[in-house]
Amino acid sequence: MNSKDPIRSAIPYRRGNVKPLLNEIIHALDRLLDDDEPTVIDLASLPFAPGELEQLEQALGRGELNAELDALGKSHIRETAYPGVWWLEHRNTAGEIVGRYIEITRTPEILMSQDADIGAGRAKLRDSFEDTGNEFNKEAAK
Amino acid sequence: MKTIPTLGEILQAQGVSRRGFMKYCAATASLLALPPAMVPRIANALEQARRPSVIWLSFQECTGCTESLTRSSSPTLEGLIFDSISLDYHHTLQAASGDAAEAARHAAMQENMGQYLVLVDGSIPMGNPGFSTIAGISNYDMLMETVDGAAAVVAIGSCAAFGGIPGANPNPTGAVSVQDLVKDKPIVNVPGCPPIPMVITAVLAQFLTFGQLPELDIHGRPTAFFGQTIHDRCYRRPFYEQGRFAETFDDEGARKGWCLFKLGCKGPITYNACATVKWNAGTSFPIESGHPCLGCSEPGFWDKGGFYAPLSTGKFGSGEKLAGAAVAGVALGAAAAVAGRRRQAKYTKEG
Amino acid sequence: MDLLEFARGPALQVAAYILVAGVIWRLVGIIFLKEKPEFSEPRKPGGLLAALKVIYTRSFTAHPFKRATLYPKMLAYVLHIGFFAVIFLFVPHIVFFEGFLGFDWPGLPNNVIYFAGVAAVVAGIALLVRRLTNPVLKLISNFDDYFSWFVTLLPIVTGLIMPVRMGVRYETLLAIHILSVAVLMIWLPFGKLGHTFLVFVTRGTTGMVFERRGAKT
Repeated sequence: MNSKDPIRSAIPYRRGNVKPLLNEIIHALDRLLDDDEPTVIDLASLPFAPGELEQLEQALGRGELNAELDALGKSHIRETAYPGVWWLEHRNTAGEIVGRYIEITRTPEILMSQDADIGAGRAKLRDSFEDTGNEFNKEAAK
Repeated sequence: MKTIPTLGEILQAQGVSRRGFMKYCAATASLLALPPAMVPRIANALEQARRPSVIWLSFQECTGCTESLTRSSSPTLEGLIFDSISLDYHHTLQAASGDAAEAARHAAMQENMGQYLVLVDGSIPMGNPGFSTIAGISNYDMLMETVDGAAAVVAIGSCAAFGGIPGANPNPTGAVSVQDLVKDKPIVNVPGCPPIPMVITAVLAQFLTFGQLPELDIHGRPTAFFGQTIHDRCYRRPFYEQGRFAETFDDEGARKGWCLFKLGCKGPITYNACATVKWNAGTSFPIESGHPCLGCSEPGFWDKGGFYAPLSTGKFGSGEKLAGAAVAGVALGAAAAVAGRRRQAKYTKEG
Repeated sequence: MDLLEFARGPALQVAAYILVAGVIWRLVGIIFLKEKPEFSEPRKPGGLLAALKVIYTRSFTAHPFKRATLYPKMLAYVLHIGFFAVIFLFVPHIVFFEGFLGFDWPGLPNNVIYFAGVAAVVAGIALLVRRLTNPVLKLISNFDDYFSWFVTLLPIVTGLIMPVRMGVRYETLLAIHILSVAVLMIWLPFGKLGHTFLVFVTRGTTGMVFERRGAKT
């Protein structure tokens, strides 16, 4: 929070969205540990005051893991200072934010390799393997 | 009828990975204001979705609505949605003009009879058909002809939804809204001056995803976006409750970001998503920039008694009339006093 | 024209005309009545000072009645002070007055106003219960008493519902609130609510008459 900017420091911390959200995250962590139930919080649906999102990001801090995804634009998926609490930002190809989420889970689904992509990748690899194999055979036949 | 590819097929052809698709679905859920738990259902539906034909008609308007939509350059979302709809007629955006453009409109109507969407921006003049024409066709005739075979109509912007500025007092062209004329088709109003681009795309995304129109409020607006007032979702609301108000645009309160109620903010009676969705790719919204809400998504917002008059200001009419009432009061009072004196005199005599 | 436009416009206008005309009518009618003839030599002059004295002393109960009237008097004070705070110290209301007076004054935080409003309503209900249960009071109460009570409490109640909402749209609640105020404005000059502008006139008159007659005030 920048104390020089009166508007950004206008909303007292205790009145805004940050505290209730942190509380929500604590309960989501309970659910994850006790019932193995993940939670997604869509930050686009909350009326943040100027500077409040930064407050939240600061309050959650940065953890050990930071991943960048490149699919239909860049995405950043990183674990916060609290294990199991992930900060996700999806951007489009123009670099604009299209979605911002907090996921309370062991690994965000989007980090996992997807079966459809695995299948497509396998087919591609097989093709190139067979091509390479043919090349090799040709070489050997010489 | 031509065979229409599903959205899944389109994305596959474009080489979009499953992760990319998941991201797209998550953003769509966000856009539709649906809980993240709905993402798998959206993914399922979107894979099967077929791109609908869209005809966009522009009548008495300023092109601000089209500007709003096209300025929201978010290729993953709006772009994909526009890849996945077939915008068959939009006289501002299309290359064709004149007869060729009208032919494209007729072709789209015939090929997709009963299934295409009609998007309208601008109001329709009823005063004289010559007030606004396209290719020599009056706005009214073009609207009624095009809407006839439509699955649904989306009125984009306050002019199409409620008459807007052309319909404001004294309404020289006799401008009316789409819902004033179209009675036998489902209509979705997406008002605003201009409307939030995300909301326009959300209605299309909803139609694309679930093949149906969103739930609407009493003014025909999607409740997902127009369900709550600006005031209810405003980050400056705590200041309203504390009684801290900006009195002018440059006083201490204005600098500290206090409530703009006294400067005429119409937030309490304005239903829109500005406070959460925000503008310019989520940068801010008018109140965040220090300007009161004008209430642009409400019917007749131009004629609601001044953008800078506080909402609780009464409209008493002219002071002369009040003075007239006072004079009438004096006259009545004098008459009552005279009558009273007569009665008193009578009692005193009878004593 | 929607309901809110009607309430803010024509309804409020007509109510204001009736309020202004009605109050002036009644004031002029009373002030220009002939003074009662005096059949005895005045004990004292009975001027403005005498009027002011009674205006002040009648704000409190005379000693012998203090215990008997403590409860209703307390309630009446809560109702009146609460009502005053709600009308004149709630910021949106101040803005309303500023709209035609041209000046404003500081208000109170909304939570204080909500509290004052609730206190006024509770006091009002307690006073009504007393009116209905006390046999003497009940006997001397007429339509004016009950209707005046109703139109006084109505704007406070409709105003207090606004932040709660209860599923109704804000603009509808605001329109109903303004309409309830219009009803109050229209009734105010004619019924017992006339005490709003007559209370000090009548007390002052009493003070002057009593002093001339040498009664203890």
